[in-house]
Amino acid sequence: MTIYYKNVYLNNTSCVTGPYEKKGPLGKYFDKSYKDLYCGEKSFEKGEIRLVKDSLNILLKKSNLSKENIDLIVGGDLLNQITASTYGSLGIGDFIGVYGACSSSVLSMIIISNFIEGGFINNGISLVSSHNMTSEKQFRYPTEYGAPRPSSSTFTATGSGCLLLSNNKSNIRVESSTLGRIIDLEENDPNDMGRVMAPSAIDTLKRHLDDTNRSVDYYDLILTGDLGKYGLEIVKDYMKEEYDITLNNYNDCGVMLYDLEKQRDVHAGGSGPVCSALVIYSYIYELMKKKKLKRVLFLATGALFSPLLLYQKENINSICHAISLEVVE
Amino acid sequence: MIFLYSFLFCGFICLIGQIILDNTKLTPGHITSMFVVIGAFLDTFNIYDSIVKIVGGGALLPITSFGHSLIHGALSNAHENGIIGLFMGMFDKTATGIVAVIVFSFFFTLIFKPRD
Repeated sequence: MTIYYKNVYLNNTSCVTGPYEKKGPLGKYFDKSYKDLYCGEKSFEKGEIRLVKDSLNILLKKSNLSKENIDLIVGGDLLNQITASTYGSLGIGDFIGVYGACSSSVLSMIIISNFIEGGFINNGISLVSSHNMTSEKQFRYPTEYGAPRPSSSTFTATGSGCLLLSNNKSNIRVESSTLGRIIDLEENDPNDMGRVMAPSAIDTLKRHLDDTNRSVDYYDLILTGDLGKYGLEIVKDYMKEEYDITLNNYNDCGVMLYDLEKQRDVHAGGSGPVCSALVIYSYIYELMKKKKLKRVLFLATGALFSPLLLYQKENINSICHAISLEVVE
Repeated sequence: MIFLYSFLFCGFICLIGQIILDNTKLTPGHITSMFVVIGAFLDTFNIYDSIVKIVGGGALLPITSFGHSLIHGALSNAHENGIIGLFMGMFDKTATGIVAVIVFSFFFTLIFKPRD
């Protein structure tokens, strides 16, 4: 399903990160970075909540708004019961929690855009966070275990990103969005998320192009959320072979967030809901403000699974939501 | 010479682990359990003991020696107490290792925090 918007604008963003993201090529674009993964708290989970609180406070400060001015927050993360978002946004605005795994960033943007376009609210904050250590614990191994990771694995980004959407005119607007479908291609390796999520990115991209009657050249840049370097190749190859579409203007946020040559620890690239947000809300947002990029399609991919069902031999499903951002001329 | 053999054998076990990890979907947990079973299997036919004689500590250090100790304890107790001894003796030889792990883990968690 593709929805079009006429009245939804991007007003401001904020990004708070951990140490690895700061050392990456986009380090200078972030508002604040912590030097260690505890972020001054006693546990990794509390550290993630600190990241959320910081990014919300920075966003409110940057856009000269008080807590009372915010109509709605839509947020998601990877912790059990999405607690980083709920604890972090306590006391600010009405709240909707979403879980789309790593696709939460776009999912929350779509929900807010719908509310604004429908005239129900004037503004809303899309909020996402993830934390490398808490998600390792959640989806793979206990942090104390120190398990080695294969080269296909991606590295969950640490940070929190906020985006203020409203009906106040600005230079960048939300143009359309395409909701994702759940895809199951019988993959079950939690250390190879790129392969799991690439099919859903391809599916949503194709449906978006079909629904809107556009070619890929319509966009200055097409970005996937966190497929990593192998997932990126899969998307390129498949689009070429199956649909004869050459993706020249395509990149992946997981590949952009880190320097894959220097930061070997990240293996195939970044992942997590905040991975895409950190790239879009900082670097891409700046480029769009300077009108260096005019039309950007943003496909956030998410792997939907629980470790419990994986032990019971179920597959990992995936989903991908797309949102199109446009510079207002 | 025993030092060289020891080094080579232990390295060989690690090499197998790395090859499995890089080329299959098996997790570190799978590999650890597999090595315990292999150690136990080899000891059942007295092969592991012969290896220990040649390479010394290099064979006692990897997790395969845990399987070796399990069987050793079980069999020696079985000689004295019959079938029931298999169950009684299983953790005789390995108890030191297990208790040491629990005690040291406890003390280390008091001092250190997990890191990335």
